[in-house]
Order: sequence, then C-alpha cells, then structure tokens
Amino acid sequence: MAALIRNLGARAAVAALSAKHVVPAAGSTALRMASTTPVEPKKADKPTVRQPDAVARSHLSDFGRYVAECLPKYVQKVQLTAGDELEVLIAPEGVVPVLQFLKDHHQAQFTNLVDIAGVDVPCRKNRFEVVYNLLSLRYNSRIRVKTYTDELTPLDSACEVHKAANWYEREIWDMYGVFFANHPDLRRILTDYGFEGHPQRRDFPLSGYVELRYDDEKKRVVCEPLELAQEFRKFDLSAPWEQFPNFRNANPPAEVVPPQAPAKK
Amino acid sequence: MAKIIKASTGLTGLAVSTNPHHTLSALYGKILRAVSKMPQDASYRKYTEQLVKQRADSVAQHKDITALEKAVGCGQVEELIVQAENELILARKMLGWKPWEKLVQAAPAKQWDWPPAQIMEPKV
Repeated sequence: MAALIRNLGARAAVAALSAKHVVPAAGSTALRMASTTPVEPKKADKPTVRQPDAVARSHLSDFGRYVAECLPKYVQKVQLTAGDELEVLIAPEGVVPVLQFLKDHHQAQFTNLVDIAGVDVPCRKNRFEVVYNLLSLRYNSRIRVKTYTDELTPLDSACEVHKAANWYEREIWDMYGVFFANHPDLRRILTDYGFEGHPQRRDFPLSGYVELRYDDEKKRVVCEPLELAQEFRKFDLSAPWEQFPNFRNANPPAEVVPPQAPAKK
Repeated sequence: MAKIIKASTGLTGLAVSTNPHHTLSALYGKILRAVSKMPQDASYRKYTEQLVKQRADSVAQHKDITALEKAVGCGQVEELIVQAENELILARKMLGWKPWEKLVQAAPAKQWDWPPAQIMEPKV
C-alpha cells in the first residue's frame, strides 16, 4: 500500500516536472524567434522622473504669451517651471485685474482658486512673494500667479474676485504679516488668541518668544518669556559632497517664455 | 419661444434657459459695445472681438440649440450665457483698469531669481 502511494506521488511529481518544462520550452522558442529579428537598443529611461508633454508645454507657453499680450500693464514675466507648470509673474498693482481676467475671460475661465501661498526671502528688497494657484475646470489646466510685496506695502485683496481668498489671505496675514487692503475680515486664523508675531517669517525663532506652562501656585496657565536651556549654537549643515548627482542635469527650475513665439519653419 | 429641449441642465444652481438665442445675442452685443470703447490696438479688444463675433455668428446660424452647442463646443447654452455675462463684467472693468498701457512697474532686480541661495549680495 505504501509502495502504491509512493508510486502515485512519484507520478505526480513527474507530471508536475513535465508541466514545468513546457513553459521554458515555449519561452525558448520565443527567444529563438526574437533573436532573428533585429533588436533595437533599449533607451535607458527613468520611470521615476516624469517627462513633461511637449504638446502641453507648447499650449501652456502659448497661453502664457496670450495673457502677457492681453495685460501688458501688469505682467512682468511668464515662465514654465518644473517642465510644465505655467507661472505668470505680475506687478503687485495687478492682482485684482489679472485674477479677474483669468477668471472671467472666455479663453481662460480659471474659476477655482485652489490656494494662496506665501514665500519669505529676506535677502530681497521685497521680501514676500504671494502665490495664487488657479484651476480651470473648463480647459483642465492650472496656472500660478505670483506677485511680491514687503512688510509695509499692502497688497490688494482678491476677495472681490474669488470668495475663497478670504481665509487664504487671513492665513498669509497670520503667517507672514502681509497686509491685504480691502479685505472684509483680516484677522489671525491659525495661531492662538493673543499670539504676537508672524511665525513663518525666516527671522522668527523656531522656539517662539514665549512659553506656556501650568503654574501650581497660581493654579492657572501662565505665559512667560522663553528661557533657552542651552547656549545658542550655530550648526554648519552644508556637506562637502554633491547630494543629488542624478538631478544635476534635471529640468532647469524655470524657463522663461519669450513674448514672441519662436518662428516656425 | 424656443422649444425647451431638456428638463434640467444637470448643474446645480443653473436653470434651463427659456430663450437662449435672445439672451446670448443681447449679451454678445453688449460685450462688443463695451469692447469698442477700447483703443484699436489693444490685444484684449482684438481677441475678445474675434471670439465674440465668432460665437454671435454661430448663434445667428444655428436655430437648433443642440446644433448651437455643438458648433460652439464650450458647454451647454446656459453655460455659454454665464460665460458671456462674466466676459461682459470683465470688459466693463477693463475699461477702468486700462491693461493695454505699458508696464506699470518693472520687477526689481533679482526679484524673480530662484533659488534664492544663489543671490549673492556684495559683502560690506
């Protein structure tokens, strides 16, 4: 009986082996056929790096040129960043006209304000950049509008164009201290009651200026100026070697779109 | 009155228009009148006139609403009406802003340089 079972097991093993052999046989014929056809050298591609679409790029730069031509009073520069993101850099006077044009013009229809962001670069004369990200559902495209200001110059509020700008501008005011003129309700939005300062500015210390703790004697939370536990130390974080050699030849951070289209042959 | 061809536009807050041809041609006329007050060489005027005339022509040609929507190719007639209303508001505001004038303020030097780590200030 045991012999019979062993026999059966052996047969099953043989069957399984032959079944396994069928597959490499078919594969080898395919290989043989493939070896007779000319093999093109495969281009080394990096699937992790997304290549921008050339058609989309030309459409975007055409549209950027169109905006610059329609609003020469406000548009300072048009550029493509990261390969296929259109940016329109405008003078601070033109925030409302440019956003209104992009929202209401037939060819633009950027009706969604996705976000307003702030950037602080202290070494510039106008240290704050304000960035408006817009989305057009009609044409399935996005555009970025950038402008600049300093600590004292107010920027026109975009609330009359986009209702969504209300809270975003309050965030910018809270984090950077950029003042928006004609804003219906410009208050802090992210920080706590009684907070002083604008925490996203580069010169705002990471630890803040005050600290809160529960005081056992007074039986309440007290707010005191911060005391650092150790001396201030300066760290040199730059490395002597190149950190991202794969991106040495990556897309340039921004390509300027010239006002005139390149001549077609 | 034009025959109503559908019960709903399928878009929230957008009612079916009863007489879209009349509304559209009136709006396009108003846009053209507003735009004609701009200087001749303003690009905004040039492009808007071109596009609005194109659309007004299709409105005049196609009496059937479905054919009109297909000819314009920018959504339903109700959406076309909204777009025309927006353009009219924009054109009237543009008359005040005068965006065809020359650049109001050139960008300060190094304002748009990126990354900012490469901006070198002379050491004093």
